[in-house]
Amino acid sequence: MSLTSPLFFAFLAGVVLAFNASQSVTYRRLVLGLANAIFIASYLTDYTQILPLLGFLLLGYVCVSILSVWKSSLVLGLGIVGVLVSYVFLKRFSFFEDLGHLPFPYLTIGLSYILFRILHMMIDAQSGDLDERVGPFAFFRYTCNFLCFVSGPIQRYQDFRAADGTAVVKLDADSVFLAFSRVIAGYAKFVIIAAVAEYGFSFLKPQLLQAGELSFAKLCVLYGAAASLYAVYLYYNFSGYMDIVIGSGVLLGQQLPENFDKPFSARSFLEFWQRWHMTLSQWFKFYLFNPLVMLLMSWFPAPALNAYLGVFAFFVTFLVMGIWHGTTAVFVVYGLLMGAGASINKLWQVACTERLGKKRYRTLTETPSYIYFARGVTISYFVLALTCLWLPELSDFTHLLIRLGPGGISVAFVGIAAAFGLFWFVADYIAPRLTAPALLTTVRDSLIGRNLTLASQMMAIVAVATLLHKSPDFVYKAF
Amino acid sequence: MRFILRQAALTLASFVFLYVLIGALSFLVFPDPSHGGPRDFQAAGRSLFMTVPKYVFLGRSVLDTQESKVLIVGASNTAVGFIQKVIQPKLACANVSNLAMGGANISEVAQIIDLVHETQTTPNRAPNTFVIGVWYGMFADSDIRFVDPDRNRGESDLDIEKYRYGFYRRSASGPVAVLPSKWLDAGVMALRPLLLVEKVAREARAGINLLLTGRVSAQRTEAEREVAVMSDQEKKKALDYWRENMGKDGISVAQFDLLKTTVASLLDSGERVVLVDLPIPAWHRDASPFQADYEQRFQALTQQFKVNPNFVAMSMADLDGDLDYSDEVHAKRHLANIWSNRLADVLSSFTCQEHRSKSRVSSSAPE
Repeated sequence: MSLTSPLFFAFLAGVVLAFNASQSVTYRRLVLGLANAIFIASYLTDYTQILPLLGFLLLGYVCVSILSVWKSSLVLGLGIVGVLVSYVFLKRFSFFEDLGHLPFPYLTIGLSYILFRILHMMIDAQSGDLDERVGPFAFFRYTCNFLCFVSGPIQRYQDFRAADGTAVVKLDADSVFLAFSRVIAGYAKFVIIAAVAEYGFSFLKPQLLQAGELSFAKLCVLYGAAASLYAVYLYYNFSGYMDIVIGSGVLLGQQLPENFDKPFSARSFLEFWQRWHMTLSQWFKFYLFNPLVMLLMSWFPAPALNAYLGVFAFFVTFLVMGIWHGTTAVFVVYGLLMGAGASINKLWQVACTERLGKKRYRTLTETPSYIYFARGVTISYFVLALTCLWLPELSDFTHLLIRLGPGGISVAFVGIAAAFGLFWFVADYIAPRLTAPALLTTVRDSLIGRNLTLASQMMAIVAVATLLHKSPDFVYKAF
Repeated sequence: MRFILRQAALTLASFVFLYVLIGALSFLVFPDPSHGGPRDFQAAGRSLFMTVPKYVFLGRSVLDTQESKVLIVGASNTAVGFIQKVIQPKLACANVSNLAMGGANISEVAQIIDLVHETQTTPNRAPNTFVIGVWYGMFADSDIRFVDPDRNRGESDLDIEKYRYGFYRRSASGPVAVLPSKWLDAGVMALRPLLLVEKVAREARAGINLLLTGRVSAQRTEAEREVAVMSDQEKKKALDYWRENMGKDGISVAQFDLLKTTVASLLDSGERVVLVDLPIPAWHRDASPFQADYEQRFQALTQQFKVNPNFVAMSMADLDGDLDYSDEVHAKRHLANIWSNRLADVLSSFTCQEHRSKSRVSSSAPE
């Protein structure tokens, strides 16, 4: 069920109305469970396609159930290995082709995010953080919540449980209006900004990849523009999707966690990942980075090494997070780039703090020139690393890198950094000076004004959707 | 629940209000033209419909009339070369409309004819005279011709218009009509607000282009085309372009078969066909690896139909002066006038002659 299809609107409207028709918790859980089943079924053309997913869920449920009564580290280890091997097998990672594959087509959408939820429940059940037995229906409603099924956000079970059928968000006229606004703003991001950026990207990409004849300057400009447009597309596509999901969640009484917090305003790579795909970063922080640092510190207890152990842990965490994004060898490169970005950033912080002292380093990071330079460099690094996502075949990726050479990559890096740094400088200078006249604000905030604003956004969405004629797809669905 | 229902009602009412308001505005800015009579589909840019494919798809119901109609179809050289305003005054007996589309292959030409038929009642088809302008570049299969990243492979501009507003839906066997053709005008009426918003967006883009580049679009003006002379490098580039765009198999036999079927079907239903072998500049004709094959197949096809009184094949092979073309296929304005006059002469003796004799028979028939 595509997010932009009339079928999804009808489905969502039906679920919201059915959910709010009664206050009964049992009834609401039944509605949510049915909604999840219908949503997943909409991706199927044959019942056999669901069997691997059901098997994966069953394995996860058995592991969680065993761990909730038998809190053994060995069982946890075996369970994690079993779940991960099943995941890798079902996702058909190209570098694990020897594992073989099932001889029929099946559903893989949502598998990655179900993995995160199952691992989280297993670890928390073993550690005692999840201190209740999870029933099979609650397990299904949590792991397959249709709002978060395709691509998150990754909610903790404990938070989900608190709202499972019991509306934690109390609805009134304002909260409902804000939910509607958020959904429509999400569609505007998804259908207008992301789709226009993708339109530009898909126009530039073939020119960039075509053989021969491009001058060095044109190649660099084309690469920089294509890579930047892809980043804009990715951000607005994903964050628009999140707005739709989180806004819809409010109407179903759920308070889903935020996934984005102005990531392109980040001043460092590490800060960037605290603002981009936040629930994924937090998951990796809790379940990989923290345990890894603890383990390393137990092996190397010297306090002087702590910072460098952190650098190493960042590298490993971001490497794994990068590899998770895809199934081809290029995603290992992406993981290495993410790992390098995070660990270099951490090393820089350690070196600056050692050389300047904490206070002077903090003062330095607050100077405007440092801020815009850091923002430009951070975004440029991420934008160029994203090349792995739009050129997932190693041959295409290496061919482009060879054509660009170190010179071309450097020119593109500097160009993108300068463009984004300048953008933020101008935005920070202009934004505070833009204030709407009082009368306009009053009209805009009135009941009619704010609803007409919503309607005009809807009008723009419909107009752009018909103008661009190819319905946009959700990019993270593939990850 | 009541808050949700209230907000849903408010949002819906606001949207409907805005939609109706913009719809009303569209009638002020672009009043609905008279229904029937000749229409210059090539002037789409000045209409609410903006592009020829959109204009043909959404505005074709004007062709459902009892009068004689000359319907010119083909690719961009047909669009540029047969000027409706030049042909119409010379053909008092028929309404002339040019429905040719840039980049069309024979499949898209057949689609145009099908769309015209879809909107016409059976009696209103009989007075149709289809002028089909062809040249070798149109004989490429859709999977080769329509491949840009902006579309699904093989989908023509008309297919895009069919799906764009939900009038058709995709299926394994191609587009399937969702909206019956009798509801076409009602559907277009409902779309007017969207068309106006789209028009505003396009005008805004043209304004930005003008601001940035000093031109509204990258397309050359008539005056610029008139003085254009192709360099040797441009000629080589053009030949390379067509070599690539015709695919490795060259002239498509399937496209020639489709043309044959289309012409036969038109003739079977009592409609008239003028098949025009469109000239290209001599340098292009002589250098193209596809021209000889095309000419041979074209001759074979015309031989097959020449005995049918409702069929005429037209050639303008003498109009091949290199300097009369602004590029490898498109006639300059002065040559387009000659093309148009020649076509008008053929149509005059082919369509109007018969019209006159029918009128005579009709007027001399006993009451």
